Amino acid sequence: MERTANRAAAVAAFALAAAVPFFANNYIVDVGLTIITYAILGLGLNIVVGYAGLLDLGYAAFFAIGAYTTALLETLAGLSFWATLPASLGLAATSGVVIGYPTLRLRSDYLAIVTLGFGEIVRITATNLSITGGPNGIYGINPPSILGLEISSPRQIYELGMGFLLIVLLFAVRLSRSRLGRAWTSLREDESAAEAVGVPTLFVKLLAYVMGALIGGFGGSLFAARFGTIDPTGFTYLQSVTILIIVVLGGRGSIPGVILGAGLVAGLPEALRFLNIWRILGFAIALILLMLLRPQGLWPARPRRPPVPARDKARQVLPRMEAGGRGGEVLLEVRNLRKVFGGVTAVASVSFRVVRGEILSVIGPNGAGKTSVFNCLTGVTRPTSGTVSWLGRSIVGRAPHRVVHLGIARTFQGIRLFPELTAFENVLVGMDHRARASIAGQVLSLPRARREEDEHHGEAMAWLDFVGLAGRAGERAANLPYGDQRRLEIARALASRPRLLLLDEPAAGMNPTEKVALTRLIRAIRDLGVTVQLIEHDMMLVMGISDRIVVMDRGTVIAEGPPAAIQADQRVIDAYLGNEDDVADGDEGGAPLVAEAGA
Amino acid sequence: MDIFAQLLIQGLTIGSFYALVALGYTMVYGIIRLINFAHGDLFMVGAFVGWSVLTPLIGARLHWGLAVLAALAASTLFTGALGVFVDRAAYQPLLNAPRLSILITALGVSLALENSVLIIYGPGFSTYPHILSNAGFPIGAAHISWAQLGIIGSSLVLMLALYVFVHRTYVGTAMRALAVDQDAARLMGINVERVIQLTFFIGSALAAVAGVMEGVYYTQINFFMGFLLGLRAFTAAVLGGIGNIPGAMAGGILIGLLEAFFSGYLSSQWTDVFVFGILIAVLTVKPTGLFGERVVERM
Repeated sequence: MERTANRAAAVAAFALAAAVPFFANNYIVDVGLTIITYAILGLGLNIVVGYAGLLDLGYAAFFAIGAYTTALLETLAGLSFWATLPASLGLAATSGVVIGYPTLRLRSDYLAIVTLGFGEIVRITATNLSITGGPNGIYGINPPSILGLEISSPRQIYELGMGFLLIVLLFAVRLSRSRLGRAWTSLREDESAAEAVGVPTLFVKLLAYVMGALIGGFGGSLFAARFGTIDPTGFTYLQSVTILIIVVLGGRGSIPGVILGAGLVAGLPEALRFLNIWRILGFAIALILLMLLRPQGLWPARPRRPPVPARDKARQVLPRMEAGGRGGEVLLEVRNLRKVFGGVTAVASVSFRVVRGEILSVIGPNGAGKTSVFNCLTGVTRPTSGTVSWLGRSIVGRAPHRVVHLGIARTFQGIRLFPELTAFENVLVGMDHRARASIAGQVLSLPRARREEDEHHGEAMAWLDFVGLAGRAGERAANLPYGDQRRLEIARALASRPRLLLLDEPAAGMNPTEKVALTRLIRAIRDLGVTVQLIEHDMMLVMGISDRIVVMDRGTVIAEGPPAAIQADQRVIDAYLGNEDDVADGDEGGAPLVAEAGA
Repeated sequence: MDIFAQLLIQGLTIGSFYALVALGYTMVYGIIRLINFAHGDLFMVGAFVGWSVLTPLIGARLHWGLAVLAALAASTLFTGALGVFVDRAAYQPLLNAPRLSILITALGVSLALENSVLIIYGPGFSTYPHILSNAGFPIGAAHISWAQLGIIGSSLVLMLALYVFVHRTYVGTAMRALAVDQDAARLMGINVERVIQLTFFIGSALAAVAGVMEGVYYTQINFFMGFLLGLRAFTAAVLGGIGNIPGAMAGGILIGLLEAFFSGYLSSQWTDVFVFGILIAVLTVKPTGLFGERVVERM
């Protein structure tokens, strides 16, 4: 009900804003149009800064590109305003790729200076070239017309601006609720975890720049149409900073916040005109105070949770992942794997195979190189040498998200959920790379995309139910107790429908009851047809559950075989407990190697 | 050939200003991960404080050397204290808030400093007294003035002193420890707040030295002078690897040389495009700057 009320309030506010020209004077209409322009730009930058968590100090460049494209095509090629729009959007998006691509690997602080530099490059280029009119800019840009009616009076332009704002608003809202919006949130929360559950993080970041650029270009075209003249002073670094202030002051990621920010930043200096020369100083001090009082912004984003489907929907049958097929087939083969960090050899030489349908455990003292092996398998680190092949094809050098797409999912030794997302959303992120509907389809809410979304929601619930968390689907991951977080991580990994699931110390920190439940869960996963490989220190669990065990010590495999054989192996006992020649250097607090299997 | 040597001297002179200001960016970043967007404006404030002290002293026929020393002393003390104040008032309360919030207050401080100076000194240029002659000596076909030599020399001395301070003293070690892990440093008994204050003081004081030298050398100053220089110095800090003190010095000198040679041989209109182009190219190949950053990303 709250949602309906919010929606009604938003519609009413928009209608009121659209009605302004009918009762206000030209000065107010003009300030209003400035606010509209800033709101559009703020919503665009909000995609980059608020949704994706990237920094951009040169956003005015896209604004400039849109404005100059429209101005040049109108004055030189004689195109109508509407005919220039696709070009201006296309060019802005392309420059989003150009600036995004080389910089995406940089950390956010470096992004600040690179984007700033890009903005300056665009502005200086516009100032120095003769085709763009140099410092004088371009004038004589024709106003747009609709159905033969020329839109030239301030009131008409204002309504055109409201139309543009409406389009941008709908676009921004729908985008934030699409799977792309979810991918951006996951990226902001934990980039490595996002990559490890199949989110192509670099590509998704690039898309944030492109979407932001599109809106910037759109706003630029409107700007050119509004004034009929443009020059480089409209696109300075200060302009970029102003737009950034709008987003952060309003509240990153919050659409009403950005609009409020636009109103304040464009309106406050006008309202402070009585201060004369003290005006900007007053604004600066107000800005500092507001940030100190409300560091999250004036109207912080309230995450909109997708509604959790009813539990009976979760009764859908989980897919059997390995229906048919030969048993005994080698899924993963690792040969002579070696990983050296600087002067430290974490993995000296490791070879093993993972056979379809088995539960394979990797054990060994701390520092044996187990997690390093996992990281090499999943593309997190590149092995120094050696081969890793999946179904006979090498996967060395593939990005982690690619490895997930191939069918290898993992969990982490230290839990890495997206803490601010609900359990349900965490699982959805794990599924999103399997979506077939286009982003455009999701933004436009086409029937096919909606159908797919329903299916995915049902399946996500089924996975939560599978690990026993269906009742907590709507809770924030950070609020779940420890054992539930572990199980949620497993559900998220399973949601990618892997053929092989790598679990890194799943029982760490669990109490005995939880461990028993975990053992049952791992068996159930195998019964779904998912092969399981786990790193674990709990010998009771390992001996009870494993079909085979690989024992590592100091970066090499020292033994391999069924649990009974491992328990009797003298080298394994030496590695854990040490022998007379070699004082134990990494024992596990007397882990009970001799524990009875199947406790 | 003679133009080459002349451009080299010119590049080293501008580069000295950039390097001194870049040090402030890099020190503050290293210690609290903040790009202090107000730092360029502290440089500007330093120039104005120096002007306010120097002009009456020269008018009173004090020896110019003593007058410059007095201006430097007043300017470093005032600007250093201002830097500490800005940190206490606008940055410290937000250290645990989202990083973008503190960036916005930094932008707010920058705007506030510029407009305060605008209100006090007016929008036009203020002129430093002409105390430097162009006297000097030839190097080959080029001419280096005593002023240029003094600027390059004193910058080098200051940078060397800072390096020694950070690497050879107890407080410097505390600073480096804090840059690696603030909580661990606090647990080891380091007074973290004091070290941060000292960092702001030193960074701002170095900017003030650059400001006074710039005023004495170019004689024209105005409220907006910190923007462009701050931008270049920031670029220099990133180019050298932000958080890395020798990197900031090298980056500053390098940007100065690039600027001098590019505008001398090719075009001054496109200098900024060239400098930013180089920066983007370097970062694409070496994402942590030329000399690598000394900052560990916390996982």
